[in-house]
Amino acid sequence: MIEISPPSKKSEKNFTTRLESVDEFDRVETVGEMFVDRPKVSCLGVSVHYGDKQALFNINLDLGRNEVLALIGPSGCGKTTFLRCINRMNDTIEGCRVDGEIKIEGAEINHSDADVVSLRSKVGMVFQKPNPFPKSIFDNIAYGPRIHGLSGPKNELDDIVESALKRAGLWEEVSDRLHTPATGLSGGQQQRLCIARAIAVNPEVILMDEPCSALDPIATARIEELIDDLREKFTIAIVTHSMHQAARVSQRTAYFHMGHLVEVGVTDQMFTNPRQRLTEDYITGRFG
Amino acid sequence: MTNPTSGHTVESFNEEMRREHRTVLQMGALVRHQIRNAAKTLRDEDSEAARKVIADDLEVNALDIQVAAHVEAILARRTPVASDLREVLTVAKIATDLERCGDEAGKLAKLTIHFFDSPGIAPNYQLLQEVSKVAGFVELMLQESLDAFDARNIDSACEVIRTAESLDGEFRSALRRLMTFVLEDARTIGQFVDVVLAIRALERIGGHAKNISGYVVYLVTGRDVRHEDLAAIESDLKITDSIS
Repeated sequence: MIEISPPSKKSEKNFTTRLESVDEFDRVETVGEMFVDRPKVSCLGVSVHYGDKQALFNINLDLGRNEVLALIGPSGCGKTTFLRCINRMNDTIEGCRVDGEIKIEGAEINHSDADVVSLRSKVGMVFQKPNPFPKSIFDNIAYGPRIHGLSGPKNELDDIVESALKRAGLWEEVSDRLHTPATGLSGGQQQRLCIARAIAVNPEVILMDEPCSALDPIATARIEELIDDLREKFTIAIVTHSMHQAARVSQRTAYFHMGHLVEVGVTDQMFTNPRQRLTEDYITGRFG
Repeated sequence: MTNPTSGHTVESFNEEMRREHRTVLQMGALVRHQIRNAAKTLRDEDSEAARKVIADDLEVNALDIQVAAHVEAILARRTPVASDLREVLTVAKIATDLERCGDEAGKLAKLTIHFFDSPGIAPNYQLLQEVSKVAGFVELMLQESLDAFDARNIDSACEVIRTAESLDGEFRSALRRLMTFVLEDARTIGQFVDVVLAIRALERIGGHAKNISGYVVYLVTGRDVRHEDLAAIESDLKITDSIS
């Protein structure tokens, strides 16, 4: 039984003003169910600057347990920047400043005492382009458990690799060639390998940045099926440019525009009757 | 609401949406003519014109099939969402209701042929007047529901729903008036039954006009109000208004 975090009563403070144009941003705040009860990840007043340029403006958004949250919006709207805040990937960018609170299970991840290595074992990430290490399939999966000290004897590592590949739906296809180079796999298989690599360290949250944009429809369908399965154990946030992928895989959808979180809602509602004019115009292909 | 027939980055999508919107309005105009002409054939005792009304229904049927094919293609190729999806679904539903209205108008025309092409007692003129009266009433409802669709006007749609809720009362009072003729002359009983069936067909057209108005509320607000009464619909719309 999947336990999904329900929208929180905090969302009663949702805003209801309809945005009719981009010019109105300054006076309008996010509409919708930004908060959930007992969130896995809680973001409050998150702003990001790259030098003088502000990329995200005061984002309030929770990620619920066993939830897939889709982040959508035009290119440059800040959805990937937001995603990268959750595992402090922005730390690697010079001149980048993140303000606001980001908590995982109530613990502030930007706190000076927070351990970034430990954070990244809790928050896995899958990128747009499959990026297997130039190693064997086995070593790709075993890499994380080894560096995080999760593996004991050799047979325990074997179990971790097998379990991760099974959860990623790849075991049947690669079990007889675990020690061959991962780069020999197809694009879709490589992406599932990257997902297996992410889940091998037992993360709590998986961040996916356009994980299917380089894949064909069949490989995409397999990843989407996998996302649905993974939801039983993990919290997932996925950035996608495909409206239909967001509609298919997520339970809630958040729409970003020019660094602002315009609307968050239950996915069914977001794609049938969004509350904001801007959201509607974007998902119906009126601008992008 | 966003106008589903304009504003898309892909102009050909706008044109496809406009085309289906226009086709449905064209179907509506044809069906209204059918209803008006069918009622006129009864008044004019014109069986030939009645046959033409029945033949004209083929055009409505063809448009219904055309809309269904185009809607299928739009769903498959454009995969519309939000207001676009509601517009496409609304167009498909309205086309179905209009096609059924055409069938009901055909029943009226068949009554003309039955009365004036068959041997028997000439129908009572006053009985037929009741049919004309109800026909004018439902034709107007249909026109107003289609105008509401064209303008995406919820107030007008609610007005049609209000009228439809009084249609049942109209039907009953017409029935009472017709009964008096039967009581005066029992030989008119056969005609009475035919006329009641014709009025029942017209009442169904009123029901379709109500459905179309319900679709307009759905199109604009996203709320499916088909099985709600007007008081519930207006109460919901007031709440929505006060929020937005």
